[in-house]
Amino acid sequence: MSTRRATGLRAWVLQRVTAVYLGLLTPVLLWRLVIAPPADHAEWRAWAAQPLVSVALLLFFAALFLHAWVGVRDIVIDYIKPFAPRLAVLTLTGFGLLACGFWVLRILFLAAVRAGA
Amino acid sequence: MQLNIHRYDPDRDQAPAMQAFEVEARPGMMLRDALLQVQRQDETLAFRHSCGEGVCGSDGLNVNGANRLACITPLHELKAPVKIRPLPGMPVIRDLVVDLTQFYRQYRVVKPYLIRHDPNPEVEVRQSPEERDQLEGLTECIMCACCSTSCPSFWWNPDKFLGPQALLSAWRFLADSRDEATKERLDDLDGPFKLFRCHTIMNCVNACPKGLNPTQAIGRIKALMLKRAI
Repeated sequence: MSTRRATGLRAWVLQRVTAVYLGLLTPVLLWRLVIAPPADHAEWRAWAAQPLVSVALLLFFAALFLHAWVGVRDIVIDYIKPFAPRLAVLTLTGFGLLACGFWVLRILFLAAVRAGA
Repeated sequence: MQLNIHRYDPDRDQAPAMQAFEVEARPGMMLRDALLQVQRQDETLAFRHSCGEGVCGSDGLNVNGANRLACITPLHELKAPVKIRPLPGMPVIRDLVVDLTQFYRQYRVVKPYLIRHDPNPEVEVRQSPEERDQLEGLTECIMCACCSTSCPSFWWNPDKFLGPQALLSAWRFLADSRDEATKERLDDLDGPFKLFRCHTIMNCVNACPKGLNPTQAIGRIKALMLKRAI
């Protein structure tokens, strides 16, 4: 068997490892943004611009999008059989998640710049 | 007691239908006995059975929505009217008889036999009691197909996902101290389909009439794979 194939073990491990990080950080983010939210936009920006927070946020969204990718890929592999829609859904998902990723980068970068960090 | 039984003869019927039968329930009666009573009323009813004591694995059926062996299912435990259907997801040959070709094919994929690379020794390959213990809960599988045909992942991809029965068998040989093909077996199971379509739904564990745990076996294969990969 020399044909290329999608990964099994790697995707499965990725899904689990990202789940652990998401599980740990989600309560922290919920607490910081919902229960004890910043008073205004400037305060949020200053919070998000702290080096530790911005790295944790970047990792959070990277983990989220990787996790989402494996999940959507699983659904597609399970339920969508014909090649064309399968490729279309995977491509759209991939581009969509990449776009979200760059958007997050942009937001966090601008927050850091405007906070004067 | 009323039994509603799935009837379908592809040569005559347009579509499957449920047919009601009355059986006289006696104490200690198993579902298989009830089906034999129905067959005396209507000899055209087709269903598989053989040993009658949960050893051969022939009479796996979907009873009131759950896969069970008719011969070890006491009739009094079932809510009337008892709905009896063939094992789900498999092509129906007639009435309660399904075509299990795909199921056996997936079993064959895992090479369910010991593979040795060393030259065969003059005497038998010995196993310590502890090594034999590793095979508890794996060798007892009677291949009744109750687990695989209750698995949604097997319903969606029966040609690509091996299903709980074949994966339990795969672990049975991976866990065997006498087998020397661990690497080949693991390499063969990687990829998104054969093993990793399992989403830990655990219908297989609920369905197994022998009380085995295919989900745990699948988890152990994944753990071993990971251990070998990093």
